[in-house]
Amino acid sequence: MNSGLISIELGVGLLGLIVLMADLWIAPAHRRYLGWGAAAALTCLLVFGLGTLAPQSGTGFSGLYVVDPLARFFKAFFMLSGVVVLLMTVEYADRLAVGLSEFFALTLFAVTGMLFAASANDLTMMFVSLELITVTFYVLNSFQRGKLASIEAGVKYLILGALASAFMVFGIALIFGSANTTQFPELALRQRELSGSPIFLTGLAFVLAGLGFKIAAVPFHGWAPDVYQGSPAPATALLAVGSKAAGFVLLLRLLFGAVPQIATEWRGCLGGLAVLSLLYGSLGAIPQRSVKRLMGYSSIANAGFLLLGVAAVSPAGSIAVLYYLAAYCFTVLAVFTVLCVVMNGSDADDMADLAGLGVRSPVLAAVMTLALASLAGVPPLAGFIGKFLILRAVIAAGATHPGYYGLAAVAVIGAVISLYYYFGIVRMMYWGGESQERSGIAMTPGSGIALLVCVVGILYLGIAPHGLLQLSADAIAPLQPSGAAVVLSEHLGVVTPGGASR
Amino acid sequence: MTPGLNHYLVVSGLLFSLGLLGVLGRRNLLIIYMGLELMLNAGNLALVSFSRFNENLNGQVMVFFTITVAAAEVAVGLALIVALYRKRQTAHVEDLTTLKF
Repeated sequence: MNSGLISIELGVGLLGLIVLMADLWIAPAHRRYLGWGAAAALTCLLVFGLGTLAPQSGTGFSGLYVVDPLARFFKAFFMLSGVVVLLMTVEYADRLAVGLSEFFALTLFAVTGMLFAASANDLTMMFVSLELITVTFYVLNSFQRGKLASIEAGVKYLILGALASAFMVFGIALIFGSANTTQFPELALRQRELSGSPIFLTGLAFVLAGLGFKIAAVPFHGWAPDVYQGSPAPATALLAVGSKAAGFVLLLRLLFGAVPQIATEWRGCLGGLAVLSLLYGSLGAIPQRSVKRLMGYSSIANAGFLLLGVAAVSPAGSIAVLYYLAAYCFTVLAVFTVLCVVMNGSDADDMADLAGLGVRSPVLAAVMTLALASLAGVPPLAGFIGKFLILRAVIAAGATHPGYYGLAAVAVIGAVISLYYYFGIVRMMYWGGESQERSGIAMTPGSGIALLVCVVGILYLGIAPHGLLQLSADAIAPLQPSGAAVVLSEHLGVVTPGGASR
Repeated sequence: MTPGLNHYLVVSGLLFSLGLLGVLGRRNLLIIYMGLELMLNAGNLALVSFSRFNENLNGQVMVFFTITVAAAEVAVGLALIVALYRKRQTAHVEDLTTLKF
C-alpha cells in the first residue's frame, strides 16, 4: 500500500473540508474570498503537487488505483477545470441565495471524485468515484432551492443518475460473477475466454450503459438538456466538462485497458451510438432559445464526436479523444463564464438577453464568438484540430471496415449543422437588435482570469497543437497492449511501432 | 434441495426487473425511488451470491461500498424530493414541467 499515491486527491478533499470549516469564521459578506483562496490553493496543488511533488507513476491499494500518464493527463484536466469553475462561482455568488462556501466545497469534492476516476483501475474504484461525482452533482444542480427549475433539474438528474448507478452495480455483479475479478488488468488477461460468456457480455453492456449516462450519449441522454438548463451555470459548466471527461477516461480504460478484443467486436455498436448522438444533439439544438439548453444539446453532439474517436479503436482515435476533450474544456468553460457575467442579475438565459452584447461589451462578445467558433470547428482554433484529428482517425480506420467512411460522412454533416446553431448565437450578439440595457458590463477579476486562461487555451491548442498531441500520445501508452510508446510522425500523424494496430 | 447459484441469480434478476418496472411504470417520485433501491439491492444480492459460490470475498466488499453509496444517495435524494414537494406541493413526475422545450 502506498498512500503517497493519492496525495493529490487527499489534498483536494482536505481543501474542501478546510473551506467548510473556514466558513464558520468568515462573515457572509466576505465568503466569496473563500472561492479565491480555494482556486489559488487548487492551482498550487496543480502546479506543485501534480507537477513535481506527487509520485509520477505507480500502482497502489492492491491494484485498485494506478498513477500513469493517462491518469496524470486527466488529473491536470480536472484540476484546471475546477479552478476555472471556482472563479466562475465567485462571479455567480450573488445569485446563490445561501451556502456559497458549501458550493465551493462541493465543487472541490466533485473534483476529488474526478481525480479518483482518472486513476481507477478496478470496477469497484470506478463505481465509487463515479458515485462521489454523481451524488455531489445532485446537490450542485439543485443548489438554488428557491428556483423551481433548479430543483427540477436536480430531481431529474437524481432519478436518471440513480438508474444508471443501479445498472452499473448489476453489471459489475455480472462481470464479477463470470470473471471472478474486478480488476482491469486481470480482465484483460482473461478476455479471450470471457468474450464467449453471455453473462460477462451482459454485465459489460450494463456497465457501459452506466458510463453512457455520464457522457450523455444517446440513448442515455434524456437528462442533459433539462439539467443543463435548470442548474446554476457553474454547476452546468463542471457537469459539461468534468463529468463528461470522467466518463470518457473510464470508458477508455475499460474498453482498451480491460477488454480491447471485445471493444473491437463492438465497434459497430459504438459507432452507431456515436452517429445517433451526433445527429440527435445537432438537430435538437437548432430550435433552442435558451443558451444553456442549447449547450445541453451541443454536449450530446460532442459526446457523439468523442464516441467516434473511441469507435475508431486505434491509438490515433484515443489521442484524438484526449485532444478533443482538452479543446472542449477550454471552449465550454469560456462560454459558461461569459454567460455567468452577462446574465448577472437575471435568472433567465434566453438568447435574446445576449442581443446587443457586441455593443455593450465588445470584449465579452469577442470571447464568446471565439469560443463558439472553436466549438463549431473553425480553423485555426482548438475545436478545429480536435474535430480534424477525430475525422482523420475515423477515416484511417476505414481501411479495416468500410462502414467508417459512413461515420466520417455523418460527422461532417453534424459539424456543418453545428455551424448553423452556434452562429445563431453570434448573430444575436452582433445583429440581434438593440438591448434594453445600454450600460456596460462589470466583471470581477476572477472572471477575467478565467476567460484569459480559456482564450489562451483555445488559441494555443489551435495554433500549436504539437505539445498537447505529444502529451496525449504519451498518455495513451498505458492503453497499448504491449505498453509500447506511441510515436508521433510529422504533420500530426500517429505511427505505432511495427505498424501494429490494436 | 439446497438453493444453488442459479436460484439466487433468478431472484436477483426478478428483483432487478421489478425495480425497473417500478421506475418506468410508476408516476410517484417516492415509489420510483423505491424501485431504484430495489434495483441496487438486486445487484447486491447477485454480488453476494457470486461471492459465496465463487469463494471470493471481493464481491462482499463491493456490497459494503454499494450500501454506503446507496445510503448517501437516499439521504440526498429524499432531501431533494422534500424540497420539491415544499415548492410545488406534488411528488408526481407529470408535474415536473418547468423545464421543457
